[in-house]
Amino acid sequence: LHLRRMEASCLELALEGERLCKAGDCRAGVSFFEAAVQVGTEDLKTLSAIYSQLGNAYFYLHEYAKALEYHHHDLTLARTIGDLLGEAKASGNLGNTLKVLGNFEEAIVCCQRHLDISRELNDKVGEARALYNLGNVYHSKGKNVASARTHDPGELPDDVKNALQKAADYYEENLTIVTELGDRAAQGRAFGNLGNTHYLLGNFRSAVLAHEQRLLIAKEFGDRSAERRAYSNLGNAYIFLGEFETASEYYKRTLQLARQLKDRAVEAQACYSLGNTYTLLQDYEKAIDYHLKHLVIAQELHDKIGEGRACWSLGNAYTALGNHDQAMHFAERHLEISREVGDRSGELTARLNLSDLQMVLGLSYSTNTSMMSESHVVENSLNGTRPRVGRRHSMENMELMKLTPEKVQNWN
Amino acid sequence: SQPMAGRQAAELQSKVVPSKQILHSDNMEMEPETMETKSVTDYFSKLHMGSLVYSCTSKRKNK
Repeated sequence: LHLRRMEASCLELALEGERLCKAGDCRAGVSFFEAAVQVGTEDLKTLSAIYSQLGNAYFYLHEYAKALEYHHHDLTLARTIGDLLGEAKASGNLGNTLKVLGNFEEAIVCCQRHLDISRELNDKVGEARALYNLGNVYHSKGKNVASARTHDPGELPDDVKNALQKAADYYEENLTIVTELGDRAAQGRAFGNLGNTHYLLGNFRSAVLAHEQRLLIAKEFGDRSAERRAYSNLGNAYIFLGEFETASEYYKRTLQLARQLKDRAVEAQACYSLGNTYTLLQDYEKAIDYHLKHLVIAQELHDKIGEGRACWSLGNAYTALGNHDQAMHFAERHLEISREVGDRSGELTARLNLSDLQMVLGLSYSTNTSMMSESHVVENSLNGTRPRVGRRHSMENMELMKLTPEKVQNWN
Repeated sequence: SQPMAGRQAAELQSKVVPSKQILHSDNMEMEPETMETKSVTDYFSKLHMGSLVYSCTSKRKNK
């Protein structure tokens, strides 16, 4: 009788945990599942389901060490009771978790196991999902290796290229199956990540084609977050195709949706992208407008790194317009923030910008014998050959730069 | 001498700061992961069905 009551209580707690997680409250769900584990059950299949859901809840809560622990328990249990489908699922979840933790080799083994079992059981849905997961692991692996090293844009090291190519192959294989199955949502996901893989490989036309498909499916479902993602990714691809006008149109749609979805961080990102795009279009007034919008949100969100980036961009844009006072103001702010966040390379850039500007201003104050000489000096020191090559050249080549702030920090 | 200093500064800059130093934020938007799900509900309903079948058959046997 005591055992019966215990089983009932464990089930009740687990059912409440399930209900809460489905309702989106993973935090509360976790406490019910953990209470269920505390009570315990003789039924190993129920326990396996509890471990699996605990793992997923912790995954969604970004507590990956805990997620790893529970998916590992689930895998062990599934193997013990000889539940092959359960083992496949646990392997897939463990693989996804290991991927997020950066353990790509083990992640590949787990996702491959998910794939093998699904094929053995002739489970097409499971097979497709395992292929998608494998694509994601190889994509992350490629991106991770690429960002750990500095290399010239356009020339990817062989191992990075291989990993990304494998990712693309897995996404294609997944697409074949989910197209057969008529699973449009899964197609949408595969197109999105395939597009991003082509983007990293430098196949920007293929990236555009994939993201256009993603956009189409997002609209079919009325999935505005996915639609926004597609616009943003299309904007990025068009930048690298050198089609800045088209890129600006897609970034504007991203901005519009970000505002509708009330996502301030994404709104800031869209403004920043628009600022950069208008810089490439050499429309500095619009660039300033968007960079200022980005600055305001970065300050609101207490995003110091974003704020520093905004100041740096604003300094450059004002310099390009010849507004040296404003340029000076933002270069000073950039220096302050770089110091605050310990960005040594940013600090160095800001110092050089400041000394440049100080010189320009200093010269224009000391040699104001005539308008001619003043403008002559400014012309010399700012728009003359060398500084132009130094600063403006880098801005004009922005489309060639696939640099993340992490990479910039690696130059220290 | 001051344009000279300008040239020196420019040279210094080209030496110290890589021309790549443009803060292009490479903000790629990935699709979400899919996790495999298990549920105690599925299992529970099977269990419940099982006991229902059991009670029906045992009732029939009693008759």
